[in-house]
Amino acid sequence: MKLGMVIDLSRCVGCGACAFACKTENNTRNRANGQSHNWADFLMHSEGTFPNTRHMVIPVLCNHCDEPPCIKICPGNPEKAGKGKPYKALFKTPEGITMHNPELCVGCGDCQTKNGCPYSHEKLDGKSLTGETYSVISLNAAEDEPQPFWADKTSAIPGCTSSGAEVAAKAGARVPAMNDWQGGETKAIRSDDVIEKCTFCYHRVSNGLQPACVEVCPSQARIFGDQQDPNSKISQILKKEKSFRLQEEKGTKPNVHYVGKYSPRA
Amino acid sequence: MKLTRREFIRASAASAVWMLGGSALAADKPKPKPMPFKNALIPRKARPSTPAKGEWVASTCQGCTQWCAIQLYVSGGRATRVRGNEISKSNHGYVCPRGHLIPQQTYDPDRVKVPLKRTNPMKGRGIDPKFVPISWDEAITAVADKMLELRNAGEPEKLLYMRGRYSPTSTDLLYGTLPKVFGTGNYFSHSALCAEAEKMGPGLTQGFFGYRDYDLEKTNCLVVWGCDPLASNRQVPNTIHRFHEIVARGTVIAVDPRLSNAAAKAHEWLPVLPGTDGALAGALAHVLLTEGLWNREFVGDFKDGKNLFVAGSMVAEDTFVEKETSGLVKWWNLELKDRTPAFAAKECGIPADQILRVARAMGKAAPKTAVWMGPGAAMWPRGTYAAMAVHALNGLVGSIDVEGGVWESPSGPPLAKFPSTDKFIDEVAKKGYKNHATNSRGHKDMPGLQVAPVNDVPNQMLKNPGAIKMVISSWSNFNHSATGADRWNQVLSKVPFFVHMVTNPSEMSQFADIVLPSTHNSSEGWSIVTNMSNGYAYASIQQNPIKRVFEGKQEETEVMWLLAQKLKAKGFPNLADYYDLIKDPETGKSATSELEFSEFAAKFTSAPIWMAKEPLKGDAPINGWAAFKAKGMFHGPRYTLKKNWGGKFKTETKKFEFYSATLKKKLTDHAKKHETTTDDILTVSGYTARGDLAFVPHYEVPKRHGSVEEFPFTFIDYKSRLNREGRSQNLPWYQEFKKVDPGDVSWGDVVKMNPADGAKLGLKTGDKVTITSQAGSITVDLKLWEGVRPGTVAKCYGQGHWAYGRVATKDYAKSVPLGGNNNEILVDDYDRLSGATARNGGFTGVRITKA
Repeated sequence: MKLGMVIDLSRCVGCGACAFACKTENNTRNRANGQSHNWADFLMHSEGTFPNTRHMVIPVLCNHCDEPPCIKICPGNPEKAGKGKPYKALFKTPEGITMHNPELCVGCGDCQTKNGCPYSHEKLDGKSLTGETYSVISLNAAEDEPQPFWADKTSAIPGCTSSGAEVAAKAGARVPAMNDWQGGETKAIRSDDVIEKCTFCYHRVSNGLQPACVEVCPSQARIFGDQQDPNSKISQILKKEKSFRLQEEKGTKPNVHYVGKYSPRA
Repeated sequence: MKLTRREFIRASAASAVWMLGGSALAADKPKPKPMPFKNALIPRKARPSTPAKGEWVASTCQGCTQWCAIQLYVSGGRATRVRGNEISKSNHGYVCPRGHLIPQQTYDPDRVKVPLKRTNPMKGRGIDPKFVPISWDEAITAVADKMLELRNAGEPEKLLYMRGRYSPTSTDLLYGTLPKVFGTGNYFSHSALCAEAEKMGPGLTQGFFGYRDYDLEKTNCLVVWGCDPLASNRQVPNTIHRFHEIVARGTVIAVDPRLSNAAAKAHEWLPVLPGTDGALAGALAHVLLTEGLWNREFVGDFKDGKNLFVAGSMVAEDTFVEKETSGLVKWWNLELKDRTPAFAAKECGIPADQILRVARAMGKAAPKTAVWMGPGAAMWPRGTYAAMAVHALNGLVGSIDVEGGVWESPSGPPLAKFPSTDKFIDEVAKKGYKNHATNSRGHKDMPGLQVAPVNDVPNQMLKNPGAIKMVISSWSNFNHSATGADRWNQVLSKVPFFVHMVTNPSEMSQFADIVLPSTHNSSEGWSIVTNMSNGYAYASIQQNPIKRVFEGKQEETEVMWLLAQKLKAKGFPNLADYYDLIKDPETGKSATSELEFSEFAAKFTSAPIWMAKEPLKGDAPINGWAAFKAKGMFHGPRYTLKKNWGGKFKTETKKFEFYSATLKKKLTDHAKKHETTTDDILTVSGYTARGDLAFVPHYEVPKRHGSVEEFPFTFIDYKSRLNREGRSQNLPWYQEFKKVDPGDVSWGDVVKMNPADGAKLGLKTGDKVTITSQAGSITVDLKLWEGVRPGTVAKCYGQGHWAYGRVATKDYAKSVPLGGNNNEILVDDYDRLSGATARNGGFTGVRITKA
C-alpha cells in the first residue's frame, strides 16, 4: 500500500476550504514566531502583464515523500526509545504516511531546515503571507503555550466581552471547537517542544474516511488513495494524465501529485 | 528573549555541551548509540487512532445571501466542523470557505457576552462608551421604557428600526411586526446596500425583480459579469462544483475590472473600465445582431429572413416579427446601431477584436449562454441602465428559462405565514406607521423603484433633526458597511437612545446606549431559512444545536418576545398578544419562554412541510417535526423551463421587453406624482438619457466623484471570499488566509496598483499609502500587481475595522483600524431609479500618496 494524493489544478479554485478544514480537523493553532501551523496551505503566483495577467494557486501539504529527508535528519531520541528500538520521531508507516511521534521529538526543528525538508522553512517571513513560501512543518516552541489564543485571559472590554480562556472553559474543551480525535501518534492537540505536520488525517483514513481536505473540497479537486492499487481512482488518474510533483529535482519522491492547469489561459 | 528550543540546542551544540542544562531529555546521561540509519526507514505501524465522536446536525449558513443548507458536527455540545447538507441539491453537500468559519465565529472571544449599558454620554468614533454589563431584565426594561415614552407622547414614529442580516421567516416577527404594531413608518432593511440595482436588469426587461438562477450543469458559455461567483455573490459551492466542467466543455468569459477568481480561471478576461459595462454590453448586442447570432426561437426574425441590422442604419419596425420579446428594433434604432465594437473599445478599454470574439462565442453557444450579472455591473449611479443592458444579452441569446440558460426562482416548499397583525394595530400605531420622515424613497429625485435607500437615512436625519429619538437596529453595522461611513458616525452620535442587537462590539455598537448580545443563528438560533439555486428552491432549518457559551439571544424571536412581555407588563399588550397567536402546531400552546417562542416560530413556519396532509411537490414526504429536524431541509420541485414563454412575463407587454414599457409606466407614474415629466425626473436623478432612450437598455457615461486631475485613480471595490458579510474579520483564520483573495496579503489590507503606475509615482510594494477621495482618506499597504489596469486601483471590502474585536483592529482599545475601510472613501451616492447604494462602477476617484 502506498497512500498518495492527486490535486487537480483545473478543478481547484483556490478557495481555501481545504485549509480551513485542515485547521478544523487538526486543531492547529494560530501563526506565531514564523510558524504558520498550517498543515495545508497554498502557493500563489501571478504572472504576465496587464491585461495578459494570469493567476495560479497550488494547494500544498506534506508530500509524504518516499525519500523523506526529514526522517534522515531527525535526531530522534535514542535514549528515550531504548537500545535497539526505533528512535526517530519522524517515520514512515506501512501505508506510506510520514508520521510523527511527539514522544521521540526533541523539538530541534532540524526537519524544517533546508536539508530537512525542501518544502519547509525554519522561520517564515512576509513572503508566506502572499503565498510565495510556506512550511509543511511547524514547531511548537519549548515552554510556549501550544494554544495561546484559547489560554488568553484578557478581554477587549472586561466584564462585557469574553476571553479565549473563558470561552474554552465554558465550551468545555481546551480549544472550544476542538475536534477531539483519539489515540494515534500525533495528538489532537500538540504539546510544546515538538514539531507538527500533516498525518494524511491518519485518524480518519485508518478508519475508512477521507482526509479532511479531500472530503470538503467543493470541486473535488483532491483524490486520495492507494497508488499501488491499479483500480484506485488515484492510480487511474496518474496513469491517464500528465502529472508533476513539487521540486522533483530534489529527489524526495513526493506522494502528492498535481494534474491539470489552474488557468486555461496559461 | 527566550531561546527557542532549536536555538537552545544549537547554542548548546556549538559549545559542545549538547543538551546540557536540565531539559526533559536528561541529557547528562550517556547517550546510547543510535541504530543504523537504514533501519530508520523501515516502516513502523502507527498507534491506532479514531475520529472525534459526535453527530451531524442540520442547519443553515448565513455567511452570504445564498443561505446554504448545511450540517454542523456537534461534539459534546460544541460546534466543531461544517459541511453542506448532504441532501442539498444546491450545494451538493459542500460549503465554500465561509461555512468553515462558523465555529470560529461562534466561539469568538470578543463577542459581547452579556447585555451592556453605556455609561459615557459622549458619543463619537474613538470615544469609549464605557460599557458596563447589565442583566437581560434591566436591558429589556430600559428599552421598553424608552419605547413607551414615545408612545405615551403620541410619537411612536420617532422610533427608527433598521434591519441588517435577518431570517426570511423570523423577520416577520420584528421587521414585519414591530413598526406596524408599535407605530413607525421609519423602518428599513439593509437591502439597498447589497445588490438591489442588479434586480433592475431582469425586473425592467422580464418583470422579475429577483436574483436569477443559472443552469450551470448545462450551460456551454458562461459570462460572469460584475461578480465573482467562485468567491461571492450567490451559489458559490454550486459554482465551484461546476465551473471546471464548463471550462472544459465550453467557454467561460469574465467581465471584471480586476483579476477576480473567475477571471483567473476564465478563457477570456475583459477588464472593463469601471462603469462602462453598458458600452461593452451594447457592443456585444450590436455584434450579435449585425452578425445574425441572435436566437430566432426567442427573439424572432425579419419577415423576409434578410438581416437588416447594419451598423449605423435605422431599421423599420414592421420588418421584424418578434416572438417572446418586445421592442428589439426600437432598441436597435435608439441605442445599438452605433454601438460598434470600435466605439465600445474607446469607452471601455476592451479591444474590438476581443469584443467580436466574445460576442461570437456567446452567439455560437446560444441559447445555452448564461450571462450572470452581479452588483459590479449595477450598483452605481446610473447603474439601472447597465443592469438592463447586461441582462438584455440573455434575451438576445434566448437563454431565458431554457436548458443551459438563466432562470427565475423555482417555486419553493409551502410555508405558513404568520397571522395578520391587523387586530393589534391601534390608532396611535396607525398614525405613526404613516410617518416616513427618514425615508427618501419616492422623493422626486429618488424614484426608488426597487428599494428604500437605507444609506440615505443619515442625510434625511440631518435634514430633519428631532425626527428620530430612538433607534433599534439588529445585525447591522452601517458605520462599517455603508458608503460614506462617517455620516453614520455623525448621525448616531446625536441619537438620544440607540439599542443595538449584535454579536460583537462593532463600530455601530460604539454609539449604542444598550447593546443586546445576539446569537449566531447557524449555530445558536432557531429559524427556517429559504432560498434557491441549481433549479430548486428550499427551506432549511436552524435549530440551536449547541450549548451556548454566551448570553446571546436571537434578535427576531427571543428578544422580541421578552420585549413584548415587558411592554405588556407596562401597559402596552398588543405585541405580546399578537405573539400569542403563534402557537406550537403540535400542541396548540403559546410560548411560555423566549426560547420556546423561537422554536415555536420555526415549527409554525415549517409545519406545512412536516404536517402536510397530502404529499407535496418536491422531496419525499417528511412526517413530523423530529424527522424534519433530522433531515433539516425540503426542496420544492425542479424549475419549470419556459414558464414565462408564450406571453406570460410579468411585464406591461407580457413579453421580454427590450423597450421597457414596464419602466415607462413606473417612471411616468412617478413623474405624475410629482407633476412633472419623465425627462425632469431623469435630470434631477442624475441620468443622462432623455426621451425614449430612457426606456431601452443603454450606455450612460460613468458618473465620477472627483476630477481625474485631482483624483487620478478610479477606485474598484470588491468582496472577499472569506467575508461573512462584514463580520468575519475578527477571526484569526480570516486573517491567516486573506491571501486566497487574488493579489491580497494575509494579516493585512492592501490596495492594488498596476506596477506601471507604481513606477510613475515612485511607489513600491509594501509602502504605506494614503488613499484620499472626496469623502475621506484611509491608510493601507500598497501592492503592485498586474491584476489591475493602469489608472485604476482595487481594494477588497472587509478590513479597516476600528472596532469589532481585537483581531479585526490593530488596537481595539484605541480604535486603531487594521488597514482601511473602503466605505470611508466611497462617496454616498445612489442609483436613484432603484434606490440602491453605489459601490461600484468607478464612481469614486482617489489619489494615492505615500503615507
